Amino acid sequence: MSLNHTDEIPVIELRHVDKHYGDLHVLRDINLKVSRGEVLVVIGPSGSGKSTMCRTINRLETIDSGDVLIEGKPLPKEGRELAAMRAELGMVFQQFNLFAHKTILENVTLGPIDVLGMKRDEAEKRAMELLARVGVAEQAQKVPAQLSGGQQQRVAIARSLAMNPKAMMFDEPTSALDPEMINEVLDVMVELARGGMTMVVVTHEMNFARRVADRVVFMADGQIVEEGAPDEFFDHPKTQRARDFLNSIKGH
Amino acid sequence: MGLSELLTTYGQDYLTALVTTWWMTAVAFALVMVLSIAITVMRVSPLKPLRVVGDFYVQVFRNIPGVALLIIIVYALPNLRLVLDYRTCVIVTVILMGSAFGSENFMSGINTIGVGQIEAARSLGLTFTQIIWKIVIPQALRSAVLPMTNLLIAVMLSTSLGSQVPMSPDELTGVVSFINTRSTGGILAFLIAALGYVGTAAVIGLVGNRLDKKVRILR
Repeated sequence: MSLNHTDEIPVIELRHVDKHYGDLHVLRDINLKVSRGEVLVVIGPSGSGKSTMCRTINRLETIDSGDVLIEGKPLPKEGRELAAMRAELGMVFQQFNLFAHKTILENVTLGPIDVLGMKRDEAEKRAMELLARVGVAEQAQKVPAQLSGGQQQRVAIARSLAMNPKAMMFDEPTSALDPEMINEVLDVMVELARGGMTMVVVTHEMNFARRVADRVVFMADGQIVEEGAPDEFFDHPKTQRARDFLNSIKGH
Repeated sequence: MGLSELLTTYGQDYLTALVTTWWMTAVAFALVMVLSIAITVMRVSPLKPLRVVGDFYVQVFRNIPGVALLIIIVYALPNLRLVLDYRTCVIVTVILMGSAFGSENFMSGINTIGVGQIEAARSLGLTFTQIIWKIVIPQALRSAVLPMTNLLIAVMLSTSLGSQVPMSPDELTGVVSFINTRSTGGILAFLIAALGYVGTAAVIGLVGNRLDKKVRILR
């Protein structure tokens, strides 16, 4: 886990990113750098733009102005170049989004075979290793609907990992899960973070943020209001907005 | 004319007609599926002109009566120096109509695929073409089995348009017209043909149900 090295090119960089939905200004002048191996946790009230920001990193959301840079290179606008860049970034969604008609194994091998051009047996061997790593190897021949939410989300993580991503984005990965399944997903994410994966995690799991994050970014009303080391942010928030938010989620 | 007399005189014609109906149905339906997929891909493509053409195609051919379309093809196409034999005219008519409905079946199949799956595919780096062929079409096909079963039956029944043009050999409805112009088969002549349609439809329905159970996507 490294902190910000100014001499190093950030894996992900957002410069003056702005976005509107009609009249709603959802992202206001977002500036953000994520270094290699860094775990950045984004928190904030719902509607603060944190998911939207996360999704601009691989252009699932377009932006009105500003730049998104991956390892210093601007994110292509469309076409094969954009697809190639997306292949280098992992993304895990709130709703898992596994391919319903494919087995668990096929979900994990699709990207390596069809995007990276890997041979099927090699891709399957690697997929089985990844499925074992996230603890769902015995489910390989089932289809997504036969798995629990927690298992599906772990498969989704394995599917992203199979692409050997430079960084991974997690867009509220535990928000759609039953409480008893949250930890099995967080455990996998903790292990990934310890392994040195560059991660952007949008989440409401404050314990995870405190334990795993190198840096916490607090967003509200489409802006980055505050950022800092997790202990510093949680124990001594600098802004009233952050204090209000932290108070509102405390005590349960 | 009684049943036994009908069968002894025209039994062979009925059999030939049944096989002709089957043949026309098979050819038409195969091409209906190909064209339906093509039209549907146009309708979901990111290029607006393609979407417009695809939607227009469906609106046009879903809303023209089969007989009117057949008349247009038989009488208008020769003016464009395109002369098709009558049987081909009937098959083309059925394909044009059938693919409009087929595309609608695929579209409703596509609508069952969550946008999240498409986003997941995009985030893996799949291109538009790959997403269509690997994610969208397989799921659309598998959830369209039952409506496509119905369409196959409708395609079979539409081949009866062949009775409106001179064809040799006739298909099932054509052979009834033929019989009734020569002798008085009456309603019985129709009933025998109906048996051919109903029997075939029953088999199609059975196979369609089995196939659906086998390929249906758990959600």
